[in-house]
Amino acid sequence: MFCLSMTAKPHSALIIVGHGSTVNADSSAPTFDHAAEIARRRVFGEVYCAFWKEEPSLRQVLHMVEADDIYVVPNFISEGYFTRTVIPRELELTGPVTRRDRRTIKYCEPVGNHPRMTELLLRRAAEVAPGVPPERTSLFIVGHGTDLNENSAVAAKREVHNIAARGVYAEVLNAYMEEDPLIAKWDEHAAQSNVVVVPFFISDGLHSYEDIPVLLGIAGESGGAASATDKEIFRHNPYQLRGRSLYYASSIGTEPLFADVILEQVVAFDAAHAAAVSA
Amino acid sequence: MMSYLSQAFTEWMVGGGREIGEIHIEPVESGFVLSHRDDVSRTDVIAFSGAEAARDLAHFGEDGRFRPLKTAPNLRRGWKLHLADFGELRRALDYFYPAMLGVWLSQRRGRLVAVSLRDTLARQTGMYAVTKKITDAQAQTMIGSFCRTEGGCLKRILWPLAPGVPVTSLPPEKFQAEAPADTLPLLCHEACNLLVAQARQVVKKAEASA
Repeated sequence: MFCLSMTAKPHSALIIVGHGSTVNADSSAPTFDHAAEIARRRVFGEVYCAFWKEEPSLRQVLHMVEADDIYVVPNFISEGYFTRTVIPRELELTGPVTRRDRRTIKYCEPVGNHPRMTELLLRRAAEVAPGVPPERTSLFIVGHGTDLNENSAVAAKREVHNIAARGVYAEVLNAYMEEDPLIAKWDEHAAQSNVVVVPFFISDGLHSYEDIPVLLGIAGESGGAASATDKEIFRHNPYQLRGRSLYYASSIGTEPLFADVILEQVVAFDAAHAAAVSA
Repeated sequence: MMSYLSQAFTEWMVGGGREIGEIHIEPVESGFVLSHRDDVSRTDVIAFSGAEAARDLAHFGEDGRFRPLKTAPNLRRGWKLHLADFGELRRALDYFYPAMLGVWLSQRRGRLVAVSLRDTLARQTGMYAVTKKITDAQAQTMIGSFCRTEGGCLKRILWPLAPGVPVTSLPPEKFQAEAPADTLPLLCHEACNLLVAQARQVVKKAEASA
């Protein structure tokens, strides 16, 4: 746990906003997990989730809250359409600080924007390939590519830059499912004998269970019926393939330390908006 | 100090409140026991404890399929859930019927503002912007099928199609917020994203066949 700067807020509520899904049960799972972990720590008086595609919805969640001081943290990998348009519209936010009906709603940055993301990616990469020397390893951070969430590729590139700057891995590479550099050509892009692949997604689902494994060559196509059993794909590392040892991680958003980054975004909000809140 | 939601809910329980949606709540010496309302007298059920168990019970139906709409009348059967205190009970009910306690209390306090379907559709952007094109007749038919209590959704609808234009494709009891004293009503003050997504399909289908 590294969120040591967070002081308890027993009179405040935290709402963690996820996208959710009407077809994939695992889409909302990390958001619920992070909320349960933060609730367990009793940092906030109340902790809730809210979703665009699931319940409680963004239009319902404020009825659950009793506190007048409310922090909203989007559990999204980057800024984009949802964090800039959908969430503010549905919660009727007017800016970083919204005052309405005696309430103050504080709209924090999305989780993926926090500098700590770099540490989480490094941690996940090390965990998935224990004992494998990073100086002889190519690390891929895989994003979607042509995506509604237009900034996810920007965030992925930033993380690759930050990880590379630490000089731990022999090479750190961006790759995408649907645009160059394609993850399907991982063996052409990677120069090292060990290859670690971390999906840069907020939750596991069809992309991490099936689409990327198929592109990597470690799974066959099942016809799109991804389910909880597909977690099996993460349990057979390393895959010996194309002359390399390939280690495949689950989506970065399932990392339990995301709970700490959510709290870090609250701390960052307080630091950035102290004047506006006390005004 | 007891929160106002805790207080209102405790008063409802003391007043004989026992049912919410398909859930029966039984106060016991050691807290509360929840079950499917049709399983109250059954003994051949699997016992769970703690609010977190409610997450999976609510998330997956009898057939193991994901339940994106928690107020759909397909809560799985064959279980009972022991909860140690009121805090656990509230968290469990928030998994089974997200936000429904809070919405109920807002309604009781006169703080629930119903939003017409037209207003909900009017603010949609992106892939849902097209839903504005749905006709009143198409919307009535869609609501009559998608929101029906039998096989659709257990919530009572509080919103009109448009200001002054009621939904007429479902029976009158579907629009009543009041419930018997032992029942906490599931209230819908605004069309959900599932209905908005359905409206998109209706418009797209009509455009394709035009």
